[in-house]
Parts: sequence; C-alpha cells; structure tokens
Amino acid sequence: MIQLKEVSKVYQTKTIETTALNNISIQVSSGEFLSIMGPSGCGKSTLLNIMGMIDEPSSGKVTISGQSISNYHSKALARFRNQKLGFIFQSFHLINELSVIDNVELPLIYRKTSARERRKMAAEALEQVGLKNRMKHFPGQLSGGQKQRVAIARAIVGKPGIILADEPTGNLDSVMGAEIMDILLKLNKELGTTIVMVTHDETMAQKTHRLIRLFDGSQVQ
Amino acid sequence: MIRHILQLIWNKKRSNTLLFLEIFFSFIILFAVFTIVTRYMRMYQSPLGFQTENIWIVHMNFNDLTDTSAVNEMKVRLKDELLSYPQIQAASYGGEATPMGGSVWATSHDQNGFQLKTNIIFGDHDYLETLDLELVRGRWFNESDADARYMPIVITEKFYEETFKGKNLTDSIYIITEESNIVGVVKNFKYRGDFATEDNVAFHYKNENHIDLSRLILRIAPGTKSGFEEEVNQVVASITKKNDFTIEHIEATRSRLAKMIWIPIIAFLSICGFLVINVSMGLFGVLWHSISKRRNEIGLRRTLGASQGEITSQFVSEVTFVSLAGITLGFVFALQFPLLKVFPIEAINYYLAMALSAGIILLLVLLCSFYPSWQASKIHPATALHEE
Repeated sequence: MIQLKEVSKVYQTKTIETTALNNISIQVSSGEFLSIMGPSGCGKSTLLNIMGMIDEPSSGKVTISGQSISNYHSKALARFRNQKLGFIFQSFHLINELSVIDNVELPLIYRKTSARERRKMAAEALEQVGLKNRMKHFPGQLSGGQKQRVAIARAIVGKPGIILADEPTGNLDSVMGAEIMDILLKLNKELGTTIVMVTHDETMAQKTHRLIRLFDGSQVQ
Repeated sequence: MIRHILQLIWNKKRSNTLLFLEIFFSFIILFAVFTIVTRYMRMYQSPLGFQTENIWIVHMNFNDLTDTSAVNEMKVRLKDELLSYPQIQAASYGGEATPMGGSVWATSHDQNGFQLKTNIIFGDHDYLETLDLELVRGRWFNESDADARYMPIVITEKFYEETFKGKNLTDSIYIITEESNIVGVVKNFKYRGDFATEDNVAFHYKNENHIDLSRLILRIAPGTKSGFEEEVNQVVASITKKNDFTIEHIEATRSRLAKMIWIPIIAFLSICGFLVINVSMGLFGVLWHSISKRRNEIGLRRTLGASQGEITSQFVSEVTFVSLAGITLGFVFALQFPLLKVFPIEAINYYLAMALSAGIILLLVLLCSFYPSWQASKIHPATALHEE
C-alpha cells in the first residue's frame, strides 16, 4: 500500500544542513495499522508528511497504492491526496468559521461532488464518529475530543484507503484519547482502512499491528 | 465551491464588514465624481453647431443714440464697409445673446400643458452663413421675413425632435413668445459653450438695421494677420463715432469658458485617482492580513486536495463577492438619483457613472486580490500546518 525506499530528507540553510530522515525504508500493507514512535524532533512528522505527499523526500522513492509519485506535478499530487488519503492532526486543524458538517465536507469540495451528495456523505461520516447531533455546531462549541472526532469524520468522508494520523491523541486527556483510538481501531478493523499513526503514547502504539521507532532520523526498530 | 465561499463569507461577516464598507463608500464617491464628469463629457462631445475659429464679435452700444434712422443707416454702412475687406468673409448682426457671450434671453411658454423654456437668439439674414450653422430642414431667414404676418423662427433640431416632430411646420402657428411660424431647423446651437446643455433655441429674425441688433459678428479669413484687428477697430470707430466698443475673439472666449470647467473636472478626477490608490492599498493590506491569519487554513486546504489554482480562485472570489455586495448596496443607493430625479441631470449620466464606478472597482479588486491570492496558493502545506 505504502512503500518508502531509502528515503532521506535533508533541510538545508546557508550555514547548516539538518538530516531529518536518513535512508528510511518502510512498507505498509493494505489494511495494516502502523504506529511510529520516537522522541521529539526525530523525524516522525516529516516521515508522515512525505507519506502524505505534502513534503518531498530529498532522495529515495515513495510508492503509494502502486503508484510512484515522484513525477507527479502539484495539481496531480493534490488530486491524489484528495482521493486516496485522509489526514488527522494533533491540533485538529478545523476551520473555526465553518460548522461541523461544513468542515467535514471540505475534502469533497475539491471533488466533483454535488452539494446534496456532499451533505449526505458528511452526515454519514459524522454518524460514524458519533457526532451527528453536533452537525450545526461550530468548532468553538466543541470539546477537544469532539473536535478530533470531527477531524476523523473529515478524514474518512472521502472514503480514502489510507489515513495518516499525526499524534491524534496528543492534545487529549486519556479518556478522550482512548475514545479516539477506539474509533481508529474500528475504522481499521471494519472498513479495512490502512492507518499510519505517529504517537508518543506507548499504550496507544501497542494497540496497533506494528510499531516502528525512529531516532535522529533513522529507523531503529 | 461558490456556495462554500458564500457560506464562508457569511460566517465571517464581521471581519468582512470593513472591506464591504470600503467598497460601498468608494463606489458612492466614484459614482458622484463620475456623474459630474460623464455629464460634462457628454455635453463636451455634442457639437457646438457653429464655427468659433476666426469669428470676431464687435460689441457696440447704441442705447445713447436717439436718432434711430441714423443708427440704422450707420449699421448698414459699417457692415458694407467691413465686407469690402477681403479678410472678412461674412458679417451679420446679432442680438445681445451672442455665442460664448454669457447673456441669455429665455422665455417660458405653455405647450400642451407643459412649460417649455426656450432661449431666444436674434439674428439677421446673414447669421447662418457667418457662423456656419448647419441647416437640416426648411430655410434660413431672408429679408422678406421682415414683413411676415407671423414671427418667422428657426429652431434647433433637438427642440424640433422633442416638441414638433411629426407636426406640420409650414402651415402651423405656434406661440413662442408670440405667434410664430417655424421656417427652418438647424442642427445645433450650443451657444453658451462646450460644456453647456443643449437648450431649446429659437432664432428670431430681425432686419440687420434693427437697433436691437448691436453685435456685429465677423467671419475672418483663415491666415489673417493679427494686425487686421486694428484696421477693424479704426473702421468701427470712424463709422460709429464711438470708442466704447470691444472686439471679442470667440475662440479665445470658448477656451476660457472650457478651462473653467476643465479645472474642476481635473481636480475631481485627481481626487478619484487618489481614492483609487487608497482603495488599492487598503485591499492589498486587508488581503495580506487575511492571508497571514489564514496560513493554517490554506495549508489544510492544500493538504486535503486543493490545487494552487483553487486556492487562488477562492481568495479572489471571496474578495470579489464581498466587493459585489458593496457595489450592489451602492447601486441601490445610486439608483435613487435617476428614479427620484434628485438633480436636473439626464438619467443616462447616472447609469454611465454607475457602470463606470462598478467596472473600475471590480477591476481594482481583481488586480489587487490576484497577487496576494497567488502568493497564498504557493504556501507550502507542510510548513503552514506545522506553524500552529
């Protein structure tokens, strides 16, 4: 499903060169739930960004769903992300001026989906995360856990094969975090969605199929 | 996408109010200035209807002379004497209301229940030729008109079109100061200057020796040297035995009158230009501020599948829709002027000013919003999302 082959990422300024990822090779199978752990600054988020095609590797090859994306131009990458990937972020990244359902509809705006269909799909996604009764609310009226559930609904609304979650429980207390983790596990189990999750929480990581650890940009496990 | 943008604008109405008001007030100011400018420009575009180049007017005063027959004889002699000079191509006597002269003799009369205001111009049988008026219908006066039972008059084409079109002119008598018979129609006679309105004008015939015709209009041959004015001066002085006359070059008067209007027009347009620069800077500022505050949202949208073009068009559209709302309110306000006839200005001037103001504002909005929006589209999603 996702294949990274000898991927490196180097950030270069005039005076300093920082290696964020060093020769990483990972293969994530279809339906797998993979977690990535490591200390802060070890390159976890960079790795996730490269998997999500919002950042480019300095070297190496990335293949997603059998398609090498190195030759994709910006517009094709945007379309590919929209069709194939769902994103969940630690700080939710909801648009405060849009209602819950409008936030969930956002990925569908960039598809040729009718307004009626968008609304229907968004309502279904919200139902899956147990927030159908909050459709008209605005993010400012929700708790952290509810916001993350909205973000999950937004990630799954387009029915992507892969979800990339960057510390999805990082901003939540343990109870809320457990709820979110349960939703992700359910998505993986029931819908067969491939999930790659960056986390600091060992307990959460242990619930996934596989765990890899990074240290100073290199894979250590 | 349009629905999404409209929803976003509505939900952010408080922050969009500033831009909305800026556009509304800009529209109103531009509308006011353009109404004045288009009105004057449209007046300027319509032809005067007569020649001003090489036309001199000798302003005389016979009020102190009591011997009418001597005045009459002297006037004829003066005209004949001046016409004997090859530099003078034509000469005609006219009344006190002369081209570019500033004097107006206007009368109001009832026309089928409507009060019609008409400006009266006196002229002799050579008036048409001297001022090179364009006759479009009927004839000009001849000397036999002095004995006509009804006052023979020539009117302007606009007056004819608006009041007498389709009516039998030759056999009908109309009351225009007195019982009048319309014998001809001239193309135009905008005698109060380039920036004057096209008033209803009726020429009344008076014999050249009539004491009321105290202005001698001369058409000078092109290329005549400026020293010729001194010769004319001497002839007039020697025949009239007076020295209280003046010679006016109406082309110079025309330029002076036009300048009096051009200066405020240029001032108004400069204010407009200043306003346009301010609005542009304001728009730029509002957009840069908005984009810097929305970097995170831009990063998110790019991550979720928005192309660079979609980000650009979203920001341009947002500003354009808010601007259209401001312009629409401006239109509602501006429309009251022609509908309620607040000022005696033709409605077309208001409509042109509305279209011009809206066009300029929209063009400005598109130009000012494109660059910041394009810059927004280049925001790297990974960087923008990481910033929060």
